[in-house]
Amino acid sequence: MSLLDVEAVPRRTMTLFLLADVSGSMRGSKIGAVNDAIRNVLPIVNDINDSNADAEIKIAAMTFSSGCNWVYNEPKIAADFDWPDQTAGGVTDLGEACVELANKLSKSHGFMTSGSGSFAPVLILLSDGGPTDDFNGGLDKLKQNNWYKAAIKVAIAIGDDADLEVLAKFTGNIESVIQVHDVESLKKVIRCVVVTSSQVGSKSSSTTAGGAEPATKQDETNKAIAQQLQGADNVQIGTEAANVSMDDNW
Amino acid sequence: MSELKIGATVHLTNGMTATVKKLLGEGGQGYVYLVSVNGKDMALKWYKSAPSSSPDKFYKNLRKNADDGAPAPMFIWPEYVTQYEQGSFGYIMKLRPEGYYEFGQFLIARQRFVNVGALLTTAIEICEAYKALHAKGLSYQDLNDGNFFINPKTGHVLICDNDNAFPNGEKSGILGKARYMAPEVVTGQRMPDAYTDKFSMSLILFLVIYMNHPFEGAKVLGHPCMTEEWERKCYGSEILFIANPQDKSNGPVKGVHNNVIARWPAFPAALRDAFVREFTAPILQSPTKRLTEQQWLDILTAVRDDLIRCPYCGKETFVSQTKCMECGKTIQVNNVLVIDKRKLALTDGNMLFIDRDDTPDMRVVHTAQNPNMLVIQNLMSNEIEVQTTQGQIRIVKTNEYLPVKLGLQLKLKIRGYQYIAKIQ
Ligand SMILES: [Zn+2]
Repeated sequence: MSLLDVEAVPRRTMTLFLLADVSGSMRGSKIGAVNDAIRNVLPIVNDINDSNADAEIKIAAMTFSSGCNWVYNEPKIAADFDWPDQTAGGVTDLGEACVELANKLSKSHGFMTSGSGSFAPVLILLSDGGPTDDFNGGLDKLKQNNWYKAAIKVAIAIGDDADLEVLAKFTGNIESVIQVHDVESLKKVIRCVVVTSSQVGSKSSSTTAGGAEPATKQDETNKAIAQQLQGADNVQIGTEAANVSMDDNW
Repeated sequence: MSELKIGATVHLTNGMTATVKKLLGEGGQGYVYLVSVNGKDMALKWYKSAPSSSPDKFYKNLRKNADDGAPAPMFIWPEYVTQYEQGSFGYIMKLRPEGYYEFGQFLIARQRFVNVGALLTTAIEICEAYKALHAKGLSYQDLNDGNFFINPKTGHVLICDNDNAFPNGEKSGILGKARYMAPEVVTGQRMPDAYTDKFSMSLILFLVIYMNHPFEGAKVLGHPCMTEEWERKCYGSEILFIANPQDKSNGPVKGVHNNVIARWPAFPAALRDAFVREFTAPILQSPTKRLTEQQWLDILTAVRDDLIRCPYCGKETFVSQTKCMECGKTIQVNNVLVIDKRKLALTDGNMLFIDRDDTPDMRVVHTAQNPNMLVIQNLMSNEIEVQTTQGQIRIVKTNEYLPVKLGLQLKLKIRGYQYIAKIQ
């Protein structure tokens, strides 16, 4: 053997799941913004991956409308991931999407097969409406899944019709739901959420000194996103403002 | 958002200003800009927001570090601090020179040391740097792969992110990376200090040398999902050394941890002994009994003394392996140069490093007349005073030679320090 023969130190895999609503209501500028934002953020994820000795970042993307569909049938690194332009149409089968996500969050028969282990995945859900199928049934199944339990979860609520309650149920926390109200904000928020969650999710977890309660990766992600989006126009995080229009029947 | 615009100026506490020329990079904590200070190009780290729960304390500490100066030349140290302005603050440091790459690039095998000598230079310089930092009463608190920039050709090291260096015992309030933290910090039993720094430094040394994480073996691989809870166990309460001779349940896995499998037996025993001592009970759980940087330096010096160029194939190998690790030929060592407890093989082609820097001080070579006749050439600017076996004194000036002859005693001076060496 040669003293200099060396291979990379094994990295864990951190899979970033993008779950994108492509139902009919996304038609037009919304779906265009999603397509544009995802394509533009992939090279940034690739850079994060290339400078990260803790984990290799892979991407798995699912679109859902009437039924759901994986863009690739395995997670891929950003450099190998081409985001095909999505067109919008159909209903919002978020319940079915949850069931399918639960199927793939598995080491034995899903996407989590890395031989050098994995970090908890990142799950990013984008939606502009409310589910049209049995969401609660689907979510109940997903909630049994240990990968889901450990995951960093963020939801992006697009426009005023998004069902915040549903998205908060998915993330388990209203602080992890970000509302955007215009197309430019949507692009900015997708970029911010994907980059931040990739950074936090793909590194060894932070530890605080002196017995203080350690910050979870979810907390760290929420905090970093909030910090970056602070003061941004047409963006609201969690319950920071009541974005409701009251009707006249009061 | 406290991003600075190109052309913006920030005021330094010493009255000077820094003008922003270009954004060089962005991290979680802040931005790094190319700036001009008094016409000189420097780097400005500008925080996105207060980097600690107690920003005033952090800021004060930063100013004190800048005033005190760098503990060692390896540190890219805060040189000037900005005023607390535009909602944030930052500090000025030197620009990182070309040819240095983040340690992470070595870990993912995008960068490689050109030779084992360069690798050992890296290990030695890391110890030198932390020895100097701790001697100043500081602790670094957050040692991880992102702090080190290394030149793969020379092994020279630069250490960045020195804003967390706090007086030993005071907490910076900065979070660390579990994978690099001492177990007693991960479990919350101890605050980061000079002793926990020593653990993280040993861990980095293990990574530099064996190119696998010392606590990630079969057992850790057995957890398909490394959650935060598991990380606290694997690096904290249930930490287990990959080469623990008593408990092999976290041992290296063939096909996954190939580097440590190949390198563990190849590198000298002194190194194995040191890591087993550091990373197993009872020392693993006894922070104050950890090896000092000076002890590490002595061990690493012995490792470098063991490294030679094979007289047959010219490749690097360790004398202690007896047979060349490249060509398999048996390497005969007839004479050694003894300095205190150190032994340097006087084999054809060997470079001799007497002090700890990476400049060879002497070299061994055969004569043109007789390939079996070895001589030592003085590569130092100082002369060597040689005492013959008859008690005569002879002077060997720069580039001159002395024979490899049993019993010769050499007196040499390097940077004011005198070494007595004897050929045996
Ligand atoms: Zn050889």
